[in-house]
Amino acid sequence: MLDMNAFFASVEMRDFPELRGRPVAVTNGLDGTCIITCSYEARAAGIHTGMRLYEARQRCPELVQRAARPEVYAQVSTRIMDALTQVCPDVEVFSVDEAFIDMTASQRLYGTPIRIAYLLRRAVYQASGLLSSIGVSGDKTTAKFAAKQNKPNGFTVIPPWEARQHLKHVPVTALCGIAQGIGRFLAERGVHVCGDMVRLPIGELAKRFGNPGRRIWYMAQGADPEPLHYEVAAPKSIGHGKVMPPDTRSRDVILTYLLHMSVKVCARMRRHDLEAMTYSIALNTRDGWIGSKQRLGIAGDDPRELYQLCLHTLEQCWQGQGVFQVQITALDPMPCKRQLDMFDTQSHAQRQKGQQLFQAVDAINERYGDLTLAPALLLNRSKMPNVIAPSWKPKGHRQSV
Amino acid sequence: MKFKIQRDDLLTPLQQVIGAVEKRQTLPALANVLIKANENDLSIIATDLEIELVSRINQVMDQPGEITLPAKKLLDICKSLPADAEISIDVDVDRALVKSGRSRFTLATLPASDFPALDEITSVHEFTLPQNILKELIDRTAFAMAQQDVRYYLNGLMMEVASGLIRTVATDGHRLAFCEKTIEGDQVDSKQVIIPRKGVTELQRLLSDTDEPVKVVLGNNHIQCELQNQRFTSKLIDGRFPDYKRVMPEAEGNTMLVDREMLKQALIRASILSNEKYRGIRVILGDSLLKLQAQNPDQEEADVELEINYTGLPMEVGMNVTYMLDVLNTSSQELVQAMIKDANSSCLLTFPEESQAKYVIMPMRL
Repeated sequence: MLDMNAFFASVEMRDFPELRGRPVAVTNGLDGTCIITCSYEARAAGIHTGMRLYEARQRCPELVQRAARPEVYAQVSTRIMDALTQVCPDVEVFSVDEAFIDMTASQRLYGTPIRIAYLLRRAVYQASGLLSSIGVSGDKTTAKFAAKQNKPNGFTVIPPWEARQHLKHVPVTALCGIAQGIGRFLAERGVHVCGDMVRLPIGELAKRFGNPGRRIWYMAQGADPEPLHYEVAAPKSIGHGKVMPPDTRSRDVILTYLLHMSVKVCARMRRHDLEAMTYSIALNTRDGWIGSKQRLGIAGDDPRELYQLCLHTLEQCWQGQGVFQVQITALDPMPCKRQLDMFDTQSHAQRQKGQQLFQAVDAINERYGDLTLAPALLLNRSKMPNVIAPSWKPKGHRQSV
Repeated sequence: MKFKIQRDDLLTPLQQVIGAVEKRQTLPALANVLIKANENDLSIIATDLEIELVSRINQVMDQPGEITLPAKKLLDICKSLPADAEISIDVDVDRALVKSGRSRFTLATLPASDFPALDEITSVHEFTLPQNILKELIDRTAFAMAQQDVRYYLNGLMMEVASGLIRTVATDGHRLAFCEKTIEGDQVDSKQVIIPRKGVTELQRLLSDTDEPVKVVLGNNHIQCELQNQRFTSKLIDGRFPDYKRVMPEAEGNTMLVDREMLKQALIRASILSNEKYRGIRVILGDSLLKLQAQNPDQEEADVELEINYTGLPMEVGMNVTYMLDVLNTSSQELVQAMIKDANSSCLLTFPEESQAKYVIMPMRL
């Protein structure tokens, strides 16, 4: 596994030399109060991802705040992933700044895995000017664990035959994929460190968690059976959400946010030639999420139709209480217009006109940037910048910010 | 109310009406069945406010009366008793005592007045036909009904009577099933109704393969089917069913004639590697040869060939394999005929020996 060091912060320090050697915290726009990531200088002062900015400032008054530039990070990430693929074709993009590389097939060409790891790290540096940490091992979980050791700029090798011994005294929750819930389940059964796992029958985990449970049993013994996944799986849903000014009560403002998300969700579906019939439209209020699932007559990707569903939802579920966040998700998106329908409610000509309109809109926005051409209502849209998701991928439907 | 009854005599009518009882109800009484004991017969009634099922048996009652009892529990009790058991039911004010052998059950009751009755039906049309004919009309079309479509009028079965004919049509927009039979009597005005999906399923369960008569009453808001000991009533869907004649392709185009069973087996084989969600396969028609190709997301492929009688233009069209199999499963005829104009037009499937049923399937884009 190759893991970038404080990725977003490192990109900022690369592009703005005056930041180097200083504690830097990246937030979502300058209005953002939550730290997305921070430089190692900031981490030395006890600051970590997820911390609130005012809290961080108390610990480290000289902290420099930078607004995230998600488009740049996406670009750099794409370049890094391409560089890795140039060395070794078998790359699984695990997140925006992490990748698994299967070196098996490349050993005849380059020699030992250690040599390949150096080549990979050099390729990443040449492509991005950024440092990375590498963990080399025989399975995904141990490799990821190794990559997290000795950061930044770490280089950790755990030979497959030593993996079990190496993990023996490591707490199970230090492994990727074992969070609090499973950790508690294991602790109740006396499994605290990976070495304890061998005493627990594999069937106990299988009964509670199914195959993922079986995987955990192997993972703790340095023998994670999971193969690398090279393809981006077909989307189960496509959604966008946005945080609003706290306690927004204006119907117009809420509708503007909903329209904004409708336009984004539909544009993204069109880019990947998808359409959906059912949408979840939700508003976060003081008392939790409210909202509804709404269905279109015929699956589509037209934001005007989706906005109508938003109006329905607001009508049905909203009683004027303050809203903090909106989220629109297209559920179960499918490839476009496969099955023809005999009673299309929209006439053929009308539908074609709509398609041509959105082809033109998409082409303009592709060239001049998102929302260059957008419904006039969106002139009032939130100026809060886009956020890059950790699950971002250089290919497929996750390639969006 | 008080009576004794053989276990099977109570179990059968309960099973006949239980389909109307929803698993979760808004009104407490809807979880119950209404039991009406007259001097010489017993009626059991269940409803979900949309459909109502009544089952009658002849039985001498010790003491007539009306009460509602929890439907599922009463059924489970009957089922759990031995086949030859005798059950006695004795209703006190708000408790019913059910006894059989050395087992005793005390059930909570609700008064019969709490049980909702359907509105009076004003008959507009009445006709009688053999049960098996009505059953066939439904069996051959009901599979094509939509499920939870926003076009709510598609979530049911259209039944139409006109001048000595009765028709059923179902469609979900992707495919359409049509069946037509002659009936006795001369209806002057034609009448069209849409029976909701759940009603269709219950009616299907009720009808058997005999030529015993069933009396059908069509009202403005209801349909009622009266059998010898059972009565089915359903509200109708208030909507305009689409004009099915408009989507029936005209009987000209490229026509293929093929053995039904062979085509079915070939489709089943090809479908194994079709996309599990979209079920699309590629149908390639050439000179006397039919090729079926399927591909799944793992890039696995199936290629099945079949000799057919075909002299039309070479053609390649995408089809949902499930829709095709649904049609082939409605008949036991030897031959099936498919007529298709081009890859963007609907395909008409018929069985040459049975002109009363017709099926239309819209293709998929490849």
